[in-house]
Amino acid sequence: MLIPRKYLPLVVVAFLLLLSLVVLSYSAVRLSETGFLRKMILEAAVPVEGAVNKTIRAVDDAWKRYIFLVGIEDENRRLRRQNAALSEQLNRYREGYLEGMRLRKILDLKEGLSNKAVTARVVDHSRASLFKTILINKGTAEGLRVGFPVLSDQGVVGRIIETAWHASQVLLLTDGNSNIDGMIQRSRAQGILQGAGSAGCLLKYISRAEEVLPGDVVLSSGLTGIFPKGLMLGVVTGATRAGDGLFQKIDVAPAVNIEKLEEVLALIPETGNEK
Amino acid sequence: MTFYLFSPVLLFLLVILQVTILDLFSFGWIGMEISIIVVIYAGFHLDAFRGDILSFLLGFFMDCLTSTVFGCHLFLYMVIYGCSMIVGERVYAGKPSLIAFFTAFCTLLKGMMIILIYRFFFGSNLLHEMPTFFVPQALVLGLLSPILFNLFQRFEVLLNVEDRQPSRRI
Repeated sequence: MLIPRKYLPLVVVAFLLLLSLVVLSYSAVRLSETGFLRKMILEAAVPVEGAVNKTIRAVDDAWKRYIFLVGIEDENRRLRRQNAALSEQLNRYREGYLEGMRLRKILDLKEGLSNKAVTARVVDHSRASLFKTILINKGTAEGLRVGFPVLSDQGVVGRIIETAWHASQVLLLTDGNSNIDGMIQRSRAQGILQGAGSAGCLLKYISRAEEVLPGDVVLSSGLTGIFPKGLMLGVVTGATRAGDGLFQKIDVAPAVNIEKLEEVLALIPETGNEK
Repeated sequence: MTFYLFSPVLLFLLVILQVTILDLFSFGWIGMEISIIVVIYAGFHLDAFRGDILSFLLGFFMDCLTSTVFGCHLFLYMVIYGCSMIVGERVYAGKPSLIAFFTAFCTLLKGMMIILIYRFFFGSNLLHEMPTFFVPQALVLGLLSPILFNLFQRFEVLLNVEDRQPSRRI
């Protein structure tokens, strides 16, 4: 034999090395067409690789859908907590904004009045009580006294009937015990606005001869000196001339939404006891 | 006969698994080129004819499916096989530390040859890939090689291939 048996493997390897080097050199310098055998390998690889990749994708999907759900659940919990915190924060900001808007209205009202005024926060509504009152957080320390009128940006709320150092009780204009001098804006007919509880108010002592229409605005007339003239009291909802009396029965809806009162303005009359 | 019938299919599947599944485990960082370990195993344990065929086929499949320059893997695997064959004839090839060290060395050698091939044929400098790609690859494959050698031995039994050399040969 030409080559000793001992060196035969090395010679074969050397031959294959040389062959591969030739192939490498040839393909590196020339862009040749893909050979038949290579095409066969590529063709065979495509379905196998496709199947493997499909399996990998299926496993990956399963991982994401089921096992990874643990992570998603944690994230979901965290996001829910975050959402709750942000909602709370947003709520606080919204409350602050609304409070600011209300206070601005109160301030506008305060600036429009010649009287000195004290802004107070409504602490309590006596909803179940027969007496329609509210409790505010300002009292004699701030210069408030019994009888002082209380307003909101919508109109007259009532008047103070009890005072402490830092709290006052306000008799609402809807209470049966409340009597406020009022007049109909359109006809200037004057009367007394009396509370009627849940029914709202009644405008009394308006002559049958006066034309009163639903929608007529009722303002304070300023006659008694407690309420300044021209403050909004309510709107006429109905007027009847039933019976033989001298006066009409006029139902008035208060301008103020008592249930939603949060801040009020207590007026200190010019002749009153100022602090 | 079983070897000649099944090894092309198995090698083909190995290359496909290498470029699909094993690439997932490397997170796109280093190529998990198990085929290098197969070539080294062939150099250490198979007879010259079978080792030649196996290395040649692996190089060919790798070139067909992954290489941008046809013949690159063919050449590199034949070089690695030749080195493994020479080393396997002279030292005890069952020692895990030797397997690990030699695999790492061959991986680095392959890296250097690729850099040289690209430099020589295309004039591009891939030297920066050495510390970021080839060195980590060499370390990972070096660590994996003793385990995979064990696995290949089991396959060898399945394919009824007898060792070219006894495992305790000095």
